[in-house]
Amino acid sequence: MELVGILVIPLLASGLSLLPLGRRFAAPITLLATAIVLGLALAVAAEAARTGHVVASGEWLTCDGLGALVLLLVAFVGFTAALFSWGYIAESVKRGGHKSIRQYYALYNLFVLSMLLVPLLANVALMWIAVELTTLLSAFLVGFEDTPEALEAAWKYVVLTTLGAVLALLGFLVLYWGSRVAGLEPFTWVGLVEAAPRMPPALLWSAFLFILVGFGTKVGLVPMHTWLPDAHSQAPASICALLSGVETTTVLYVILRLFPVVGGAPGLDARPWFVGFGLLSVTIATLLLIYVRDFKRMFAFSTVEHMGIILVAAGLGGADAHLGAAYQMTGHAIAKSFCFFAAGVTVLGVGTQEIASVRGLVRSSPLAAIALLAGGFAIAGAPPFAVFVSEFVILKAGLATGQYIVVGLLAFLVVVAFCAVMVHVNRMAFGTPEHDVQALTLPRSCKLTLALAAVPLLLIGIYVPAPLQDLLKAAASAMGG
Amino acid sequence: MIERIVYNIIQVVVVVAFAPLLEGITSRLKEILQSKRGPNIFQPYRDIWKLLHKDELVSEHSSWIFRAAPYVAFAAPVFVALLIPVLTRYPLFFAFMGDMLGGGFVLALGGFFTSLAAVDTANPYGPMGASRTRMVGFLAEPVFIVVFLTVSFVAGSTIPYIVQTRWVTPIANFFEPSHILLLIAFLMLILAEDGRIPVDSPSGQFELAMIERSKSLEYSGRGAALMKWAGAMKFFVLICIFLNVLVTPWGLAQGMGFGEVLLAIPLVLLKVFCFVLVLVYIESSLAKLRLFRITEFLGAAFVISVVAVITQLSQI
Amino acid sequence: MNGPPVLLALDALTGALFLLTALGVVATRQVLASLQLFILQSLLLTVSAVLLGIGLGSIHLIAVAAITIATKTLLIPWLLRRTVSAEVYRTREIERVLNIPSSLLIAAVLIVLAYVVANPLLSAVELPFAQINLPLGIAAMFLGTFTIVVRREAVPQLLGLLAVENGVFFAGVAIVPNLPVIAELAAAVDVPVVALVIGMLTRRIYARLGTTSVGELASLRDN
Repeated sequence: MELVGILVIPLLASGLSLLPLGRRFAAPITLLATAIVLGLALAVAAEAARTGHVVASGEWLTCDGLGALVLLLVAFVGFTAALFSWGYIAESVKRGGHKSIRQYYALYNLFVLSMLLVPLLANVALMWIAVELTTLLSAFLVGFEDTPEALEAAWKYVVLTTLGAVLALLGFLVLYWGSRVAGLEPFTWVGLVEAAPRMPPALLWSAFLFILVGFGTKVGLVPMHTWLPDAHSQAPASICALLSGVETTTVLYVILRLFPVVGGAPGLDARPWFVGFGLLSVTIATLLLIYVRDFKRMFAFSTVEHMGIILVAAGLGGADAHLGAAYQMTGHAIAKSFCFFAAGVTVLGVGTQEIASVRGLVRSSPLAAIALLAGGFAIAGAPPFAVFVSEFVILKAGLATGQYIVVGLLAFLVVVAFCAVMVHVNRMAFGTPEHDVQALTLPRSCKLTLALAAVPLLLIGIYVPAPLQDLLKAAASAMGG
Repeated sequence: MIERIVYNIIQVVVVVAFAPLLEGITSRLKEILQSKRGPNIFQPYRDIWKLLHKDELVSEHSSWIFRAAPYVAFAAPVFVALLIPVLTRYPLFFAFMGDMLGGGFVLALGGFFTSLAAVDTANPYGPMGASRTRMVGFLAEPVFIVVFLTVSFVAGSTIPYIVQTRWVTPIANFFEPSHILLLIAFLMLILAEDGRIPVDSPSGQFELAMIERSKSLEYSGRGAALMKWAGAMKFFVLICIFLNVLVTPWGLAQGMGFGEVLLAIPLVLLKVFCFVLVLVYIESSLAKLRLFRITEFLGAAFVISVVAVITQLSQI
Repeated sequence: MNGPPVLLALDALTGALFLLTALGVVATRQVLASLQLFILQSLLLTVSAVLLGIGLGSIHLIAVAAITIATKTLLIPWLLRRTVSAEVYRTREIERVLNIPSSLLIAAVLIVLAYVVANPLLSAVELPFAQINLPLGIAAMFLGTFTIVVRREAVPQLLGLLAVENGVFFAGVAIVPNLPVIAELAAAVDVPVVALVIGMLTRRIYARLGTTSVGELASLRDN
């Protein structure tokens, strides 16, 4: 029943936000809704971790280890971003522009709902629709700032990701065709894994490629990533946190689901493709990170890099690598959302997104500077943060299976990216400011969010609570490890 | 044996005799479609008669090409009429003398001489028309070649009669995607080669805008009559190729009886008339393209014909 | 390739015209003409779905045809008229990324590519009608993608996107004639929503920036 509750509550909240009262109450209602959803998600995740198997609610909604992990991450970031939005959006609307708080929260709730749907739906075709909905519902959220750049970003976002999704639709249709040939009736992931050996390899393989390229566009894999830096930098910070932190992960979840299906068919090997695309993404993202000029864009490129790392981890194969991938997803979601909260706070204070214009932040707003530093360290993969641990696990797993070249390349790129991010962040936080320093006042809820989100950020790297460990292991096994 | 020769000659006579009628009907229909009355359908015959009885004026500075061109232009469609199915489904005596490519070359020969003759005079509009015709011609060449290649590939031969037997006689082939696409491409080609809208305006009088007709501006008397007749015959021949080889063999005589062949004449003319209706409708609903847009028009025709080839090959 | 020959022949004809409309959307200059070609394309998709529905005896396909007619030929043009202002339809693209003959040549290459891609799928499993619909559907997808790349105006880009969806459905009606109706319904709902979102976005872009040449928006770059 919790699964149904998870879905109904954001729907209600969205509707309530649209009411004329909504202007005052939309933010608290959303916050309450996401808090409840988080609670329910924790319950679901606990059960999935404990039983390690499916938590079903009727024949349309199921959730296994990997799904529960994604669900939990979406719920968590949804909650923190809602808290952040309260202050951020209020401030942003106060500063002008034709923006509507009610519209924002209505769309926000629906967007979170669509992301929650993806790991819960059992029918593969419906899952495609849910992914498509995430794009459509976030289109106006990306363009919320209403500047020409934001509208350009929103246009590219919608057109390119919908194009990718339609390509993936063909892949799913071919997959369905193959499953019918293999005699499968319900079109679910579980059924597909079971029917995979009987499917004609040509169909399965082309479906795999279509879906990889199509949904890879939405994940931000190179070379289909061109929309991502724009959309993830022009959207308001809370939406960026959602987009970068969990939306790309949600679509990556769908691709990862395909991995055991392809693995089940004799003679087909998806791993080189995963590793190839992943490494390409990491390489290009790292290169772009060196030359980036806008700090929100920097975090967006970092998302591309991390998606690549997770894909490589999945491609390396083996339980350890998959565990590392699951851990990386978690660490990335928490750290990236934190980074964007920090970036949002910085933008509020300084008014610009250019790295070169921000200097000596520690003088004008110590909180923003510390948050930026912490986020930068966390996402770049410094110890003792979670990303460092997960990358280490992945590299170790790769060495254990003997893929030295991949591991070497990955390690090198990760180090380079680390240096790039650190240089940028340091330059922003320290250094002598060019203009007079004024203390910046930040909205209360933003400060609260930063404090709240910092807790898991710091904690997860050092101490992983046992239920979470079980959940990660369950997720890894669902990946086919 | 004797019948084949006789029918062949009858075929040529039909082409020669009815070509001006076709021209007359086309212009009359176009005028009617534009809510005007239009000239008498036998007007072209009267024009040719009038021109044949007038004096011919030939420039001293022109060469033998100028004098020879009307005859070559007249002879070319006559030769091609020997090769293509006009009245019968089975090959006639001269049918194997040349195939479709050969027929294309002969028609091109007529056009070549006309273009040279246009340059031969000192009339400023002649060379301009000649160069424009060449431009349209060379853009239309790839389309011709691809169309002929496709039909020959399917039919296994380049002789028009055999192509027609293998290609359009089974009805199912009519709706093949490659067939429909080839029809569209060839139609666009006819519009281009014969100087119909949207490529050129056949009834326009403004020399700067002319493509085909400015080449024959300098002729008078017999030369003019022959050029006019040759233009009408070329149109008729192209339509015959299009309809009889590519579209449908309806109306063509099946047996060797003389009566059947005579019956084929009005049936084929009826078929041509239906096509003219379609043509006139197309002409009346489009505007003339600007000169540099003709490349796009023929480019589109080329791509359509290539797509036809692809769809044809992919089923094999 | 089995199936009643008349239906096959008509389906082949529909497919050829479908491909022509996809080429037309790539080539045409006027925004209004590209919209009309899209409507024609959707009609042809409907015809194909009906033919296949009769040929394979599948009621799902007739339902798909009905949904397609309702959404793509009626609803979407209406939506676009409402959301995108009327002036946009009178525009023509003066400058193009590639001129028309070159675009058409590349389009021809893409069609060959589509056949190359479809071949292994067709040789793996025999399905009636798939031999016509699958390659042409994939070709329409490639051409739609190419349209998005080459065109600068917002509405042709949107129509290119919708043409890609048309292509997917054109292939889909042949390879999965029995997709659960709920999935088809939801996918059909997706198309108007996409059109609505993009239409509204176009309107906002037009209101804010005064132009719908989205291909020329290039202020976000990495250099």
